[in-house]
Amino acid sequence: MLLPPRNFAAELSFPIPASAAVSEKPSEIECEVIRLFDQFRNPLLRYVLSFGLSVHDAEEVTQDIFLALFRHLQRGKSRRNLRGWIFRVAHNLALKQRAANKRIQAAMDDDARIVHAKPDTTPNPEEQMASGQTLQHLRTVLRALPEQDRCCLALRAEGLRYREIAATLGISLGSVSLSLTRTLARLESAEKGSRNGG
Amino acid sequence: MGDDELHISDQDLLRSADGELPASRARQARAHLAGCWLCRTRLRELEATIADFVHAHRGTLDPQLPSAAGPRALLKSQLAAAVKSGAAPWSRFLQFFLPRGAVAYVLVALVLIAAGSALLIQHFASPRSSASFLPIENAAVPDHTLTPGATRAISISDACSTDHEEVVRDVPASLRQQVLHEYGIASARADDYEIDFLIAPRLGGTEDIHNLWPEPYTLPTWNARVKDALEEHLHQMVCQGTLDLRTAQRDISTDWIAAYKKYFHTKRPLATSAMTKSIRSIPRAKSGA
Repeated sequence: MLLPPRNFAAELSFPIPASAAVSEKPSEIECEVIRLFDQFRNPLLRYVLSFGLSVHDAEEVTQDIFLALFRHLQRGKSRRNLRGWIFRVAHNLALKQRAANKRIQAAMDDDARIVHAKPDTTPNPEEQMASGQTLQHLRTVLRALPEQDRCCLALRAEGLRYREIAATLGISLGSVSLSLTRTLARLESAEKGSRNGG
Repeated sequence: MGDDELHISDQDLLRSADGELPASRARQARAHLAGCWLCRTRLRELEATIADFVHAHRGTLDPQLPSAAGPRALLKSQLAAAVKSGAAPWSRFLQFFLPRGAVAYVLVALVLIAAGSALLIQHFASPRSSASFLPIENAAVPDHTLTPGATRAISISDACSTDHEEVVRDVPASLRQQVLHEYGIASARADDYEIDFLIAPRLGGTEDIHNLWPEPYTLPTWNARVKDALEEHLHQMVCQGTLDLRTAQRDISTDWIAAYKKYFHTKRPLATSAMTKSIRSIPRAKSGA
């Protein structure tokens, strides 16, 4: 296991009560949730991270998604389109977490805010050598995208179909298609700009 | 360029590449691409942009992803704990919506706050109901200040020719959340409430926040099945010409339970509509899974 980031290790110790180290065999639903965790944990983490949350927060949100999924299945709710359901919960929880962070951040002093503000976006040597500038341009454009466009793109990048994206974001199929086309055009012109402008 | 309309738009090129075009359009697009170097080149360009994005996206995010082993073990133990504490749904519910570390300290406080605000919401949400009403029954009727009902201009022939299934779409998740929020139950689980149209779409009601309210799935008497029956009855009367559409809209939005009593000439829901009470298998409009 890799070293957990920041105070994640400290956090880990809290939610595992001694009683949780049960010897009973996990139920079918538990196994199913774990299977879905194996399948969707990284896609969900990436999606939640795209909201600008810290890795620590994103991990917490991801745990909550699967706990919610467990309850969803436990109550015998619909299994139709579970992927869509999972990403919809992820979307809502990520928004909620980000709003909570904003409230906390607003209460903090400026120094602390600066420390928290920027993730490390230093490109690795490989990127610097190859198409470093193009990448930087792309990232700048990605950061400046309207929220809905960014979400559409991030969900599509995780393999969701337009219908699932539309349901996750509460928008129409046409809006998804338009958003993706618009965003690709933006990315494209950013690339061209970086190539021509140097 | 004069021949622009002969080519495939960027949007359709992308939809085609994503397998999102309807079958007939997809066939046309494939045929066109086979014959058109210009469109094929454009498709390649789009694909190249996608590839660049995927590299940038993954290149930025993937190195940040910690190993799944720790979180996986954590989830397993939390699931086991959830199974064990199955008897205390409230604490699990709160645990889900709160920052984990704080749960133990603020649980009691929050339960008190929740209970207090629930009382307040009830108080303000149903000023017309007497104190003897059961709380759950309060929820059978929407709050008029929040949900007065909203309609679109619709002719009788439109109202009567449109298939109900065509009219009703899923309420978008964002709108659903807004409705829950204005009713002070923003943290309600997706499957506890149906977001119901006060004035049914087939009676000209619109997907407007003023026409949507959270209806609990489980209500003992005046539940959504009963309201369905009323909607159907009113719709029939309107289409037979025995009831004015505006009157139907006004009566159902003013007090649908009173309207039911009036139009069915009964004080209690009729057996046919109350028979399958409480939980409905196919909600008419919901954004949950």
